Amino acid sequence: MTAATRFAKSHEWARPESDGSVTVGISAYAVEALTDLVFMQLPEVGRRVKAGDSLGEIESVKAVSDVYAPISGEVVAVNAALPGALETLGRDPYGAGWMVRLKPDDPAELAALLDESAYDALVKSQPH
Amino acid sequence: MNNLHVWWDPPADGPSNMAADELLAEEAAARGTCCLRFYGWTPTTVSLGGFQRGADAAAEPAIRGVPIVRRPSGGGAIVHGSDLTYAAAVPKGHPCGAGPEAFYDAVHGALCKALAEFGIAAALWRPPIAAHATGDRDAGSFFCFSRRSPGDVCMGVAESADGRGHKILGSAQRRLAATVLQHGSLLLRHNERVSGAASHPGLADLAPDGLPADAVPALAGRWLEFVAAGLGLRLARQAGRFRDERVVAERSGRFSDPRWNHRR
Repeated sequence: MTAATRFAKSHEWARPESDGSVTVGISAYAVEALTDLVFMQLPEVGRRVKAGDSLGEIESVKAVSDVYAPISGEVVAVNAALPGALETLGRDPYGAGWMVRLKPDDPAELAALLDESAYDALVKSQPH
Repeated sequence: MNNLHVWWDPPADGPSNMAADELLAEEAAARGTCCLRFYGWTPTTVSLGGFQRGADAAAEPAIRGVPIVRRPSGGGAIVHGSDLTYAAAVPKGHPCGAGPEAFYDAVHGALCKALAEFGIAAALWRPPIAAHATGDRDAGSFFCFSRRSPGDVCMGVAESADGRGHKILGSAQRRLAATVLQHGSLLLRHNERVSGAASHPGLADLAPDGLPADAVPALAGRWLEFVAAGLGLRLARQAGRFRDERVVAERSGRFSDPRWNHRR
């Protein structure tokens, strides 16, 4: 995870890349909370999303959860290997467990997300 | 968030039930409190888990000709019609909204307490030690009641040679942006409409002295009281049905659309 990584309150992370794209995944907290992931559906390249739209779905043993777009933009890449290797999410959620790359509509949306310390505080405030 | 609002709806078809549950989740979000709906199904219907393959349902001879609807929640396929189904929605800010297990255990543990008052022994299933290494042998079964997940309510586990017993209550969740929608099915008796892999014994088949149909409302009532106590809420039974049929019908189109029911 880099210092530039930002987080949505819905537990997705977003990291700006040198080519202007933003890589998106779900946080280690979200992976741990979901437990025993069994299936994932990712969007198609070219799909346009607004911040807060569903980017995909994850099924754990008994729950289906949405993954929400932390920012608005166009899906320019998906980690096609991930649905077949869901254990990657637990092992490396901020690296090989990335889900999609977005071409952002508005870079200011990224800046409005939580930084790591604010996200840590959010996680600590979650009911257990 | 002090009340558990509860409705008891008459049996309905699959799309209507799924539409009402979607509205229930919205109600919980709007009220900022927990809402629960009991209901039945007519005709007998198979609900698929959110990611199950439509082709697998079509290839299953035991349910040929039975209407199918896809749930938004996870888990395996359920044959409805001889069960009591619940949908419960809780805001994510509630302690039961944080992760899946707490909500399952609150509802499932409450049923075990209620059953005990009726002289029926049931417990939350936990995998035998050997299964921790090998996994449940039927984890990938098409039907929910053939699977075992930690926290399922089972009967006869101690008496069964394989430690699986008979599952009588299973639940699954859809974790939405603001709420968690949890579906569960209490199998009251085996369903005569299906056979083979789709047929499972229910509470009335397994209870030593059976379970008269007229005992179900009393059992459900005690179950609710234990659920409310476990969630730290005051039980608030609501008169009438959760939503007018016309309102549900306006929402049900999505759940009868092949693009939803055969999306996978």
